[in-house]
Amino acid sequence: MIYFHLDARSGVPTYLQLVQQVRQAVRLGILRPGDQLPTVKEVVSSLAINPNTVLKAYRELDREGLVEGRRGVGTFVSGEPPSPPPEGVKELRVALQRWVAKAKAAGLDEEGMTVLFDDTVRPPITSRVA
Amino acid sequence: MIWVGWRLQRTEVLIAAAIVALLAALLVPTGVEIASTYHRDGLSACLGQNTSDGCNQAIDAFTSQFDRLRSLIAWFTLVPGLTGVLLAAPFVLELEHGTYRLAWTQSITRRRWIVSKLGLSIAAALLVALGLTLLETWWHAPFVHLEGRMDNSVFDSEGTVIFGYTLFALGLATAVGAVWRRAVPALVVAFAGYFAARIFVDTWLRQRLVTPLSVTWPVLVRDHGGPRKGGEPASLNHAWVISENPSDRFGHPVSVLAGFCSKAQVISGNCLPHKASGYMHVVYEPASRFWLLQGLETAMFGGIALVLIGFAVWWAHERI
Amino acid sequence: MSSSAVLETDGLGKRYGSKWALRDCSLAIPAGSVTALVGPNGAGKTTLLQLAVGLSEPSAGSVHVLGRSPRAESHSVLPAVGFVAQEHPLYRGFTVAETLKLGRKLNPGWDEAVAIERVERLSLPLDQKVGKLSGGQQAQVALTLALAKRPELLVLDEPIASLDPLARREFLQSVMAVVAETGTTVVLSSHIVADLERVCDHLVILALGRTQLVGPIDEILASHRLLTGPRTDAEAVARVHEVIREEHTERQTTLLVRANGHVYDSRWQLNEVDLEEIVLAYLGHRGSAPMSHETFREAMTG
Repeated sequence: MIYFHLDARSGVPTYLQLVQQVRQAVRLGILRPGDQLPTVKEVVSSLAINPNTVLKAYRELDREGLVEGRRGVGTFVSGEPPSPPPEGVKELRVALQRWVAKAKAAGLDEEGMTVLFDDTVRPPITSRVA
Repeated sequence: MIWVGWRLQRTEVLIAAAIVALLAALLVPTGVEIASTYHRDGLSACLGQNTSDGCNQAIDAFTSQFDRLRSLIAWFTLVPGLTGVLLAAPFVLELEHGTYRLAWTQSITRRRWIVSKLGLSIAAALLVALGLTLLETWWHAPFVHLEGRMDNSVFDSEGTVIFGYTLFALGLATAVGAVWRRAVPALVVAFAGYFAARIFVDTWLRQRLVTPLSVTWPVLVRDHGGPRKGGEPASLNHAWVISENPSDRFGHPVSVLAGFCSKAQVISGNCLPHKASGYMHVVYEPASRFWLLQGLETAMFGGIALVLIGFAVWWAHERI
Repeated sequence: MSSSAVLETDGLGKRYGSKWALRDCSLAIPAGSVTALVGPNGAGKTTLLQLAVGLSEPSAGSVHVLGRSPRAESHSVLPAVGFVAQEHPLYRGFTVAETLKLGRKLNPGWDEAVAIERVERLSLPLDQKVGKLSGGQQAQVALTLALAKRPELLVLDEPIASLDPLARREFLQSVMAVVAETGTTVVLSSHIVADLERVCDHLVILALGRTQLVGPIDEILASHRLLTGPRTDAEAVARVHEVIREEHTERQTTLLVRANGHVYDSRWQLNEVDLEEIVLAYLGHRGSAPMSHETFREAMTG
């Protein structure tokens, strides 16, 4: 069973945090195919968030194919998680290690690297006001 | 709603019942004593116009024995005011504490709530009044046999007036409380209003409700002074004497020469024999008017009470 | 998402003596939504909510709950509305059990199972006098009274204002669980915005007795932007978008706008704004924006 937690200050929309936590849980094997996700009522009772937010998250996960909703029963983890093939991951890791070495040589510390990475991953228009 | 209404009044009703019980604790033993003294002294034989000296003395002794007690008991006429005001407390507290915001948003309408709640208060007030009337009527019985029940403090405790008084106090406290919305000051003000109204009626209005009768009668002076008892007209028996003065044959007042003995002086035994004017003029309400006066006073207090309660209902319904 | 309005007001106003506590209030709360009614103290929130549940009578305009007048047809509206007034008034001398009995006696639609389930789950002591309970427990008792009648509309006036953070969280958890289960429409007022953002999906901003902004929170967040740029005047922007707040320093101008379409101007850096910032902007600092209040209102209630 997965327990959700919320970081109210992270700037990431609530529903997206739930989506990410489910993805993470599936990747790490905490959630396996066939496992049931907490019901909307359960999530909402523990987190005090709007039920629509949970529904939105579950819909998004359903759209990605990660889960499937069975009417009247609940939402379940479906099939295999869509993880990238092992080969691709290895190559990416090597490339990333090379990039980190370059960045260090250029004078970036860990925080500087993280900022640059965040800025690149997310479209620039959606950076939040502090 | 009945359970809710009762539960909300429970404390006040129990306090009112305790007050009546306290009164009973005072009235019952003393009343028993009075009644047994009355019978022991054989005073029932002394009723009527023709009384012997022996009877007069026995009556004097009896009444003076319980004089102080009767003065004390006379204060009990404030109790209807006290309990009436008390029974208005739940209604006013509802407004003061803001719990009406809870009560009026359940599923019953505001009007039904107000009417039920006040209805229960009225019922409780009537029960208290009944208890008080029964107790006091029983207690006063021996004195009533001897002196009638027209005298102020006895009149206040018999018949139907206590119902009027209690409702009036309840109505006044409810109306003041509805507007003021603060229980303690409203109840205090209402009680003061009750007090003032009672004094006004007792001392001024009651004798003007129905035009009193008057009579002039000749007075015979005896050797040892004082008018002869028993020469009074029969209509004065057990009547409420509003005023009496020595007068001429036509009823016009005559200045009192020192030593002329009035009835009170005769009773108290202080009397110096001097020249008498010859006549006594008395303004009075006869005993036969007891129920008429009771009815008028009850209707007055009760009627005003209903108007006040109606006002309180209207105010709470429209203006809060 | 139903489009029918559970609570609808039209030009609603309430006057006490010569002072208008609420004026010109027109809004429609859709069924199934959780609406936050925010505004400073004295803004008219309690007035609006009391008009909605029939505790007071409008001085102007109208209010309808489920299509009916809450005051004139209270016998049919009251059973469908659960209300917890400010400071959750309860009879302090009643025990919890007696309070529930009151609910049962006065509400024909009372569901005892709901009441019992809540009391047991929250461990509310049935034989304890309400006056002796903690603030959080009292709030839960008051909420139980409102929920056990299975209302279609739940109205909560500053329900969490006097509660400690844990009690606040538990209260909101309860309310959200009910919404998840039954789709009850909720309107709750607060002068603190932070708690409400994750719970509510609609917003009504009230200030000085008037509505300043009404709408779904998603839309509000999507349409408001913070524009930062070199010191300049707001006129060019104001011609296209609505400037809610403008601030100037020596070198920089910051505008909070409600965007009318996309903002293309490359002079400005664009940022999203969080809900609390938006609310604050509407509540006070409108600065010198040359915008009449009427235009604001019309645009916001759309």
